[in-house]
Amino acid sequence: MLAAAILFTAGCRREPKPVGDTATGTPHRGGTVVTGWPSEPGGVNPYILPASQPTSEMLFRLFLHLMEEQSDFDKHPPTFKPELARSYEWSADHKTLTFHLRDDVVWSDGVPVTADDVRWTWQAQISKDVVWEGAESKQSITDVEAVDPHTVRFHFSRVYAKQFLDANEGSVLPKHAWEKLPFAQWRKSGDWFKQHLVVDGQFTISSWQPQQQVVLQRNERYYEKGFPRLDRVVMRIVPSQSAGLTQLLNGEIDFLPQIAVGDVKRAQAAPQVQLIALWFNIYVAVGWNNANPLFQNPEVRRALTLGIDRKTIVETLLGPYGRVADSPVLTMVWAHDRSLAPLPYDPAEAKRILAAKGWKDTDGDGVLDKGGKPFSFELITNAGNQLRIDATVMIQDQLKKIGVKAVPRQVEFNTMASQTRDGSFEAVVIGFAMDTSLDMTGNYHSKSIADGSNFVRFRNPEMDHLLEVAESQPDVSAERPYLDQIQQLVHREQPVTFLWESQRLTAVNKRVKDVRPTLASSFFNLKEWWVEPKP
Amino acid sequence: MAGFLLRRLAASLLLLLLVVSFIFFLVRHVPGDPANFGESSRLTATQRHHLHELYGLDRPLGAQYLDWVSSVILRFDWGTSLSQQRPVSAALLDALPATSLLAVAGLAVEYTLALLLGIAAARRPGSGIDHAIRTGGLLFFSLPLFWLGLMAILLFSYLWPVLPSSHMVSVDADTLSPTGRYLDIGRHLVLPALVMGFGVGGGTARYVRSRMIEVLSQDYIRTARAKGLSERRVLWVHALRNAAVPIVQVIAVTLPLVFSGALLIEVVFSWPGLGLLTFNAILTRDYPLILGSTTFSATLVILANFAADLLHAWLDPVVRGE
Repeated sequence: MLAAAILFTAGCRREPKPVGDTATGTPHRGGTVVTGWPSEPGGVNPYILPASQPTSEMLFRLFLHLMEEQSDFDKHPPTFKPELARSYEWSADHKTLTFHLRDDVVWSDGVPVTADDVRWTWQAQISKDVVWEGAESKQSITDVEAVDPHTVRFHFSRVYAKQFLDANEGSVLPKHAWEKLPFAQWRKSGDWFKQHLVVDGQFTISSWQPQQQVVLQRNERYYEKGFPRLDRVVMRIVPSQSAGLTQLLNGEIDFLPQIAVGDVKRAQAAPQVQLIALWFNIYVAVGWNNANPLFQNPEVRRALTLGIDRKTIVETLLGPYGRVADSPVLTMVWAHDRSLAPLPYDPAEAKRILAAKGWKDTDGDGVLDKGGKPFSFELITNAGNQLRIDATVMIQDQLKKIGVKAVPRQVEFNTMASQTRDGSFEAVVIGFAMDTSLDMTGNYHSKSIADGSNFVRFRNPEMDHLLEVAESQPDVSAERPYLDQIQQLVHREQPVTFLWESQRLTAVNKRVKDVRPTLASSFFNLKEWWVEPKP
Repeated sequence: MAGFLLRRLAASLLLLLLVVSFIFFLVRHVPGDPANFGESSRLTATQRHHLHELYGLDRPLGAQYLDWVSSVILRFDWGTSLSQQRPVSAALLDALPATSLLAVAGLAVEYTLALLLGIAAARRPGSGIDHAIRTGGLLFFSLPLFWLGLMAILLFSYLWPVLPSSHMVSVDADTLSPTGRYLDIGRHLVLPALVMGFGVGGGTARYVRSRMIEVLSQDYIRTARAKGLSERRVLWVHALRNAAVPIVQVIAVTLPLVFSGALLIEVVFSWPGLGLLTFNAILTRDYPLILGSTTFSATLVILANFAADLLHAWLDPVVRGE
């Protein structure tokens, strides 16, 4: 699941220019950087933890992947840079993928990292006792064979677009240190993994104070000599966003991965703070419950989209840090269908469509009705997310003008997740994360209604077919024609009304140099960060 | 006295059982699921079912309740935290010192403030000082603790940065000497303790004032003054001692406020105590941890009330039926 969390972000990243005056300074080794995070990392074993950004960021610095996905997703599918594996090759039938591992990578206790670690990690990933959230990505891998200590071979049951991504998903764990605990005990392991931590990544953990901070310390056995440059990176837990900004401004914290749009002016006023804006990998949309009689007709859903002034919503709530979304494939991604344009705000056309579908205000109360039932529904979103809460209120106001009554309601996140999962909602303003693989089966295939993320309950045989054909292509780039058709179908059917894509605003103290976050990771090039030595 | 003790003890245990049973069923009827892993979760229905099996959440609620109660009573086993994958008791014990420290410091600030201001106001009822203290007390008591906390951070950590804005220790705490670490914790404690003390102390000061006014009008106070005792001795020895009994009871009554206040204070100041632990447990529907922390807090509150009853009985023979 850790890998999943990182993977979905990886697809939509474009590297920004580094901050800090790197041209006039020479990278320096040493020093400490304090970073602020909204929640505490869950632990050190990626396969038993719920995905969260702090957890993912930390674990990616502790454990290596076979290959490192790059941030070049705007022109073509992402490329990969060698990490634990120095090279790979495919068999002629494209059903076997062989990785050749580096021979100079060792765990922090000095034991070499080998193909046995890779194979054992795969066994953990698919174990029913471990219940890894990303286990589905391994379902077409029939075996992982340790050919020799530095060669590992993945065997697939079929040829499909995501083979490489699936093989590479998940970091490799230390078999020699962690196999002592049977998989069946992993989810009741307490602090066992922390107490038996060995790493092969850039950093290790020097101290962990619950609910306070995790201190990462340079792994002296990391294979890239001279890296990481920093001695220590402190991950400080700051649940309150306003408290985090205050600490950034008064110098207690050097780096905040995300600040609110409303805080931009305060941050910009501080001369020591620099902001980095990156397009997020998430689009926010109104998810209509397609199984609800109100929203079953695509023409009605289209009318609702026409009745929502998304441009005004984006300009009001996000200003220059957002844009109207129009596709499940984000604008900055290579496969985004640029022939699509967002539906306009056209309340007159919306009214006309609704009238044609039998929705009329027969009792003069300002709300359309049909068969004695008013066009009225509850529009939920997660409490605590002010942007989305404000959006629900604006949507309520706009839909009122076309005779549709939306009743905004804030719901605590966990409650909302349960409601969307079991279908006991009418409409929801929610974020959809985009995956590097661009596989939208989870969100739009009818089979994912019962067992997946198709919580809007969109059911369309043409969509099912397109998703299946796209997924069965030999590689991601070959999916392009089908991805275009999928986007056009979504545009036509409007199972959701796309609201916005937004930028993530990262704030950094200028004393920290060479900071280059990506959408995959705020810590993307953490090993290159450096700070000026104190005079 | 023994009969009184036994009666109170039995009543306290029964109350505790009722409270934890209520919490158990209430929490389980709140929508949500510990297997909700966030907006981007890819957990399948099958995996969710596996997790429920693993955690025993697929069993009838009554069976889960009996299991939980029996394991707590018979084995002192509070279960395993679903979000932290470690024993609930370990998570609670980790968080307890921080909350205890905050509660003790907050109570110290609250009662120091309440006694000083309450007595000062009671000495001259109706005076300007009395009005100022009553109004100020009401104002602080009325303000939400989280707002007071944010204002304190703004004033003392940002505009006039003399105190740390959050956490219990500094970033470099592990490099400090033992004395340095205590001092470091002390610095971090100042703001949350002051906010907690001021936030609830205003109400307590008004209570102390009214009790003192009542006591100061008694004949024995007039007698003490007539005997030529100093005003200080009259106030702090004779009057305060007699006003102390109901004030002690107020401590027990306000203890739940201290715990609920600690939750807000801990969230605002990132203070690593039971409040923050419970807050996170509720968000993640970590049922064993929610039950553990609420039961733990309820036990402390009930014990404090029990202790206050004992103290009251010790101070007042009428209460213990003599």
